[in-house]
Amino acid sequence: MQRRGDLFAGLFSAMSGPCEILLESCDEAQALRLAELAAAEVLRIEYKFSRYRDDSAVGAINAAAGAAVRVDDETARLLELAARCHALSGGRFDVTSGILRRVWKFDGGDRLPSRGQVKALLPLIGWGKVAWENPVIALPAGMEIDLGGLGKEYAADRAAELVAAAAPAAALVNLGGDLRATGPRGDGAAWRVGVEDPGREDHAERVLEMKGGGLATSGDARRFLLRDGIRYGHILNPRTGWPVRGAPRAVTVAAPTCTEAGVLATVAMLHGREAEAFLEGQGVGWWCRW
Amino acid sequence: MAATSRTYRSIRGALSAACALTGIGGVATSHATEVETAILGYTEPNRVSALETVLQARHDFGSGRLANFKVVYDALTGASASGAVPGAAVQTFTRPSGRGSYTTAPGETPLDDTFRDARVAVSGGATLPLGRLSTISAGLYGSGEHDYTSLGANASFSRDFDRRNRTLSAGVSFSQDTVTPEGGRPIPFASMTPVGPDQPRLAGDGSKDVADAMLGLVQVIDRATLVQFTYSLSRVTGYQTDPYKLVSVVDPTTGAPVDQIFEHRPDARTKHILFGRVKRQLPHGALDLSYRFMTDDWGIASHTVELRDRVALGGGGKYLQPHMRYYSQSAADFYARWLLDGAALPDHATADYRLGEFHAWTFGLEHGRDLGRDHRLTARVEYYRQVGDGHPAGAPGALANYDLFPVVDAWIFQVGYSFGS
Repeated sequence: MQRRGDLFAGLFSAMSGPCEILLESCDEAQALRLAELAAAEVLRIEYKFSRYRDDSAVGAINAAAGAAVRVDDETARLLELAARCHALSGGRFDVTSGILRRVWKFDGGDRLPSRGQVKALLPLIGWGKVAWENPVIALPAGMEIDLGGLGKEYAADRAAELVAAAAPAAALVNLGGDLRATGPRGDGAAWRVGVEDPGREDHAERVLEMKGGGLATSGDARRFLLRDGIRYGHILNPRTGWPVRGAPRAVTVAAPTCTEAGVLATVAMLHGREAEAFLEGQGVGWWCRW
Repeated sequence: MAATSRTYRSIRGALSAACALTGIGGVATSHATEVETAILGYTEPNRVSALETVLQARHDFGSGRLANFKVVYDALTGASASGAVPGAAVQTFTRPSGRGSYTTAPGETPLDDTFRDARVAVSGGATLPLGRLSTISAGLYGSGEHDYTSLGANASFSRDFDRRNRTLSAGVSFSQDTVTPEGGRPIPFASMTPVGPDQPRLAGDGSKDVADAMLGLVQVIDRATLVQFTYSLSRVTGYQTDPYKLVSVVDPTTGAPVDQIFEHRPDARTKHILFGRVKRQLPHGALDLSYRFMTDDWGIASHTVELRDRVALGGGGKYLQPHMRYYSQSAADFYARWLLDGAALPDHATADYRLGEFHAWTFGLEHGRDLGRDHRLTARVEYYRQVGDGHPAGAPGALANYDLFPVVDAWIFQVGYSFGS
C-alpha cells in the first residue's frame, strides 16, 4: 500500500501482470481493507477461470473430453456472454480460438507456423460446434475454451463494483491496462490514465481522462511476429487461424464497463483495417494506434 | 485508415445487455448520450417568481467529437421595483403599455406588477479534435420573449500542454439583442404621462451588440489539485436602457416626488473580468473555491467569492454539497436613487437597484444520488439575501423616513434528473 498525495495505491500481481487499485476519499485502514477486497476478488476470478488448472471451472470443461458439464451460475453467465459476443460479432469473437496458441508463438521473432499446422487446428475452433444449453456445456473432444479474452476485464469490473458496494470511496482498478473506475474522483474530476502508444518510439504515453466506466486495450506492441517485412499481430482470426491483416497495433475503448470495452476493442481489432469504421458506429470513446 | 466507408451496425446495446447478465453494471458516466433535465423555481416573496425548465442533451461520437443541445423555458410573473421612490401619498403609475395604471400605497416601494413573461432559449454546439492535443468548439444561441430576442454565436480553441496537465484556451462570442418594449421605447428622461397614447417614444426597436473575448488556463498542480484562471473582455454597444425603469424627481426640501421620468443609460459598456478557481480533492470529498472580479467603465466593480464543499455520503453516488457565495458591487457612476427638482439633469441616470451598491449572500445545500445504473437525481435549495443602503445620506425631507433599498430575499429550489444511454 502506497500513499500518493491524497490517493492510496494498492499494488498486487495477478493475471500475469502488475495490478493496481487507486483509492481516495478514505483513510489508510479503509484503503487497505478495500485493496485487499479487490485483490482477493481478482485472484479468485483468475483461479476460477484459469485454463491451466484442471480444478478450475474452465479446466473442468476442457478436460471433460466431449462429456457434458453442468457449470455454476457465474461460469454460466460468462459463457452466455461469450455466446452472445460470438453472435454479435458475426463469429469474430470466439472463446474457442485460444487453441491456436499451440502453433502461434508471438515472441517478436520470425517463426510462422506452416499452413498445414494452422489448418489442422481449424476443425477444433468455432463456438458454433459447442453444445451450450445454459447451464450445461459440452465441447467436442479436442476443443478448448479460454475465457482469457473476458476474464481480466470481468475481474476489473467485479473488483471495482465490490469496492463501490463496500464503501463510498472513489476507486480505479487497473489490471495491467484494463481499467474500471467506480465513478469520477471525489471532486467530480476525471481520472487521468496514461496509455502507452506503441506507435511512438519514445514510448510516450497518451493521457486519457475517464470519469467512470471501463477502459480496455486490445493489441500489444510486444506481441507480434515479423517475417519478410510483414508484421503479424497477435489477434488471430478464428475462421482462418491467421492474424487479422491490416489491424491497428492497438485499440483502446472506453465503455460503461471494462468488459464491454474489452469486447469492443477485441472485435474492432478483428475487423482489421475496418476497425475504425466499426468503432464509429458504436457510440463509445475509442482510440486506434496504427 | 479505414479502407472503405462501409458502416457497421452498433452492437453496443446488445453487448451492454449481455454484460449486464454477468451481474456487472456500468456506472452512470461515459455514456454516448447523456440527457439532463431540471426544474428550477425562484421566488422573491411578494415580488417576482420564476419557474424554469431545462432540457439538455449531449452526445459523444467518440474520438473527442461531442455535440450538445439545450432548451430552456422560463416563465416569470410578479412585481419588480420600478425605480421610483416611496411617497407620503398614494402614487399612480401608468403601465408601460400606456393602457392602464397601478397604484402604490403611501410609504411603499413602487412595484411594477405587470411583469409576466415567458422566454425560450435554444443553444447548440459541437466540439471537434484538431490533431492530437487541440480542440475547436463552436455554437449558436437564440432566445426569444415577447419583447426581447437575442441571437448569438461563439467559437473557441483549446490546446493541451505539459502531458495534458495544462490547457490553454481562447474564445470569442458575439450576440445581437433586440428589445421591442411593450408600448415602444420611451424617450429617455421624458416624464411618465397619464394613461393614454401621449407618452413620447423613440422610433423603432432598441438593439445592442455584445462582443466577448476570453483567454483561459487550466493547470493540474498535483493529483488532487487543479487551478483555473480566466480573463474575459466584454464590449456592449447599443440600447442598454431599461425601458420600464423610472427615476423619481423629488422636491429638494420635502422629498416628495414631483415627477417620474424614464431612466437613461450610456450606449457603450466595456467590462473586464478576472476569474480564478482552485479545486482540491480532500479525504471526505472535494472543495471548490473561486473568486471573480469584474470592473467596467460604468464605474461598477464587483467581487464574488464562492465555495462549494462536496461531502461523499456512503455508496450510490450520494453526496451533500453545502454552497456559500458572497457578492458585492459598487454603484454605477450614474446611479441615482432620486433626482432633485430644479437641478440640471445628468447625462445618464438610473435608479435600478441592480446598478446600485449592494452586497448579497447565498447559502445552499445540494444533494445528489444515483437511481440505479444510468439515472441520477439531484435536489438543491438555496437562500439569497441582497442588502443595500436603505437610508442613504442626503435623502431630502420625507425620503429619510423610507427604506429606499429594501432587502431582497429569494428562495431557489431545483430538482434535476439525468440519465445516459
